[in-house]
Amino acid sequence: MSAVAFILGVLIVGQIRSQAGDSGLAARSAQDLTLLVANLNTRNDQLRTEVGTLDRQLQTLEQGGRNGASSLTQIRDDEARVRAWAGLDPVSGRGVEITISGAIAGTALEDLVNELRNAGAEAIAIEDVRVVAATVIGGGGGSLSVDDTALSDPFVVRAIGNPESLVGSLTRMGGLVAQLAATYPDAGVSVEAVDRLVLPATTRDLAPSHGRPRL
Amino acid sequence: MTAVVARIRAIPSWQVTLGFALLALGFLIAAQLAAEGPRVRYTTQERSPLVETALGLQTQQEQLKQQILDLRGKIKGLEDQGQGTTAQQRELNASLQQARIEAGLIPLTGTGIVFRLADSTQPVPANGNPADYSVTARDIRTVVAELSLAGAEAIAVNGERVVATTGVLDIGGTILVNSAYLAPPYQISAIGPTDMLEQLGVSQGWIDFIQTRRGRFGVDVSFAEPATVDIPAFAGSLNLRESRAVPPSQAPAP
Repeated sequence: MSAVAFILGVLIVGQIRSQAGDSGLAARSAQDLTLLVANLNTRNDQLRTEVGTLDRQLQTLEQGGRNGASSLTQIRDDEARVRAWAGLDPVSGRGVEITISGAIAGTALEDLVNELRNAGAEAIAIEDVRVVAATVIGGGGGSLSVDDTALSDPFVVRAIGNPESLVGSLTRMGGLVAQLAATYPDAGVSVEAVDRLVLPATTRDLAPSHGRPRL
Repeated sequence: MTAVVARIRAIPSWQVTLGFALLALGFLIAAQLAAEGPRVRYTTQERSPLVETALGLQTQQEQLKQQILDLRGKIKGLEDQGQGTTAQQRELNASLQQARIEAGLIPLTGTGIVFRLADSTQPVPANGNPADYSVTARDIRTVVAELSLAGAEAIAVNGERVVATTGVLDIGGTILVNSAYLAPPYQISAIGPTDMLEQLGVSQGWIDFIQTRRGRFGVDVSFAEPATVDIPAFAGSLNLRESRAVPPSQAPAP
């Protein structure tokens, strides 16, 4: 009898394990999973591009080890790339311009920035404030501020990135612009693709003072 | 042979009955499992390949991220070797390294705080929305923003470094940070001044967050203040397909 109970126990445990083995993803709908797969695919493509870029950089470094001039150019190019990406230098490029008039909540502007990031924006500025990791939006109801800079009414959010993807993502059915229009019927939101934008550098000091590099 | 027969005859009849009953039970269980098998397979048929694809892509992503970190390490090694050749090169290398630190491409260690967010264990009331009782992308964003306000200079969510391009996405309750799928519970680590917790305590946004999410819905928010907090480097792409660096001299004044 105890042997029977033991086998039954083993069977139950086996069954529970087989259901939990997919880290909770099985509970998601097919639609959500499709979106998740699409997101992972896009990100993996970007990571592959980065691996390619770094590979080339490594090869040039290895070949030009003795050639001082080429490695100096490479270090300069690399630094320009890092600084532009981090918001330490101004950047220019194609993108979108979003003009917002009327009172919206700070969380709505946070949602917009987050949506732009998720849609692949490479650089974002709210009026003249370049958005970096620690940028915080405050206030609400017509008195919004970004990093302690008050926003006027109307104000403009500019983002560099593929204009089609950015406009498409914002203006799709049920997308962020539609949600804003439904939540803030008195506010105006217009989205426009722009051929050339110039975004300023951040005025924040990004050098850590409490953390030290772990090499 | 006679010994075997004698042994069988010696078995009490109640044991034989019990034996048959157990055998029948075994058949019933087997039949039940066999009957359920196709139904289970049918309902998971639609999802299983998708789940497998998602998990496969996530594994690929981990490998690609590791590859990026390895390549960056090798590049840095070669740059360091080249150091000392000329003063100009040394200066450039130092300035590149500083840019990487400020960009979040180098791991940091320092004083800080680690928050842990987990789904509520409270039962969802009949008229309640189950999403209110789970950790959401907005919760993660709120904690990140509040920590930034409190002075955090480097933040990571389950090992994903928060950088200028970091988006937090909620797909049907599944949270993605930097497009990486994160499994709950969520650990948000921050390096910053030692008074971050006090700063949070006086922030209205943080007080509202705790009152609503923990007080009302029972979302589990706990924290630890270890001696040092380690924040990993951003292991992603410096996606600059459309952007061109503008030399500061040519840029409009901010």
